Amino acid sequence: MNTQEYIQSGIIESYVLGMASSAEAAELEQLCLQYPEIKQALTNFELALEANALTNAVAPPPKLKNQIFTALQSEFIAEENSTVQNKEAFSTPLQEVPVIKMNQPSRFLAAASIVLLVISGGMNIYFYSKFKETTQQYQALVLEKNTLQANNQIMQTKSLDMYNSMQMMTDPNMQKVSMPGIPGKESNYATVFWDMKSKDVYILPNKLPQPASGKQYQLWAIVDGKPVDAGVLSDCAGLCKMKNIPAASMFAITLEKSGGSETPTLSEMYVAGKVG
Amino acid sequence: MEQVLQYSESELVLLLSQRNETAFSYLYDHYSGALYTSILTIVGDQEAAADTLQEVFIKIFRQIDSYDSSKGRLYTWMLNIARNAAIDTTRSKGFQKTKQNQELSENVYDLAGSSEIKSDDIGLRKLVHGLRPEWRVLVELSYFEGYTQDEIAKMLDIPLGTVKTRLRAALKELHKLIKE
Repeated sequence: MNTQEYIQSGIIESYVLGMASSAEAAELEQLCLQYPEIKQALTNFELALEANALTNAVAPPPKLKNQIFTALQSEFIAEENSTVQNKEAFSTPLQEVPVIKMNQPSRFLAAASIVLLVISGGMNIYFYSKFKETTQQYQALVLEKNTLQANNQIMQTKSLDMYNSMQMMTDPNMQKVSMPGIPGKESNYATVFWDMKSKDVYILPNKLPQPASGKQYQLWAIVDGKPVDAGVLSDCAGLCKMKNIPAASMFAITLEKSGGSETPTLSEMYVAGKVG
Repeated sequence: MEQVLQYSESELVLLLSQRNETAFSYLYDHYSGALYTSILTIVGDQEAAADTLQEVFIKIFRQIDSYDSSKGRLYTWMLNIARNAAIDTTRSKGFQKTKQNQELSENVYDLAGSSEIKSDDIGLRKLVHGLRPEWRVLVELSYFEGYTQDEIAKMLDIPLGTVKTRLRAALKELHKLIKE
């Protein structure tokens, strides 16, 4: 999160002046808890606005204060009672301190309010821990959702590749050249798909051992008895596109150094198959 | 500096929540001017502004428990109450009528070359005048007249995104002017 950019965006001013949307306001309040510098920027603007307003204030009509206080008179709660009682308690010698008499209902009310306060405090703690727990669970779920989504994306891509490969394999212009393992390597197997129209060559490595590091399989087309490089096999899903080969009587795969060789290492031949 | 009763903001809020008259009196003395000014800049008329201010202070007193100090300062909270109340006042039926009459007479004054003291010369509105015109109109409509950004986009026939960006830029500039 780039907090400076956020602070400079004008959102703080918009929030303080009451012009932010509820979503923007909720976000800012959340960010203030996370980033002290954002909270500080908020307070700075509030203070500047307040100082400016106090300096440039125009006084309201003088009689207004009286009107307001008259309107609210019955709603003020006097503080004197409690203060006076305290003062008396302090000035009276300890042994003579009278038990402050409370009548039955107010005793009950006092007790009840303490009990309620304790319960409310307990509930605050309980709900806060619940809230934290839920937030954590929510974040875990979001993470899980993202992972699932990413996996789904990968699966979809693979599936699409497979579908495309299948389309190509079943194309009537595709000539299939099976390449079984040569004697001594009978367990290996690969297939060449050769587009008779475009002469593009595709390879499906059905069964080839994982090449050692620094090594790569290379496909050869045998043209007029001579091997012609048809490209190296890299990691690809489904069919791998190789070079364009206009004519060939045979295909073979050898294991070569990474990047391929100019001529095939015949001792490292794995599979070979005749065209037709 | 004169020696007056001073409260920290948290003390003030605590005493206000206990419906303490002295604290409320202090609050009034300290902030009534600032809030009155902000109301006056919106409603324009001194009598209507005073009525609105009375309503605002009664609201502040009765609803102090809904103030949440973690979200911002007390003045910010009060300012927002005042702004909303002032905009409500300008939208009330009775006010619309008086305003029409007033505009007529103001036009007459303008024609006569008189320079009446107007709400334009005080508070935030004075600072807003320092903004460039295409920003100023947005602040006028959104802050002083309380239109939503959607409504403004439709009114001025400019894209909502442009309204948003310009308004943010205008507020940043206003911030600078406030600090000067």
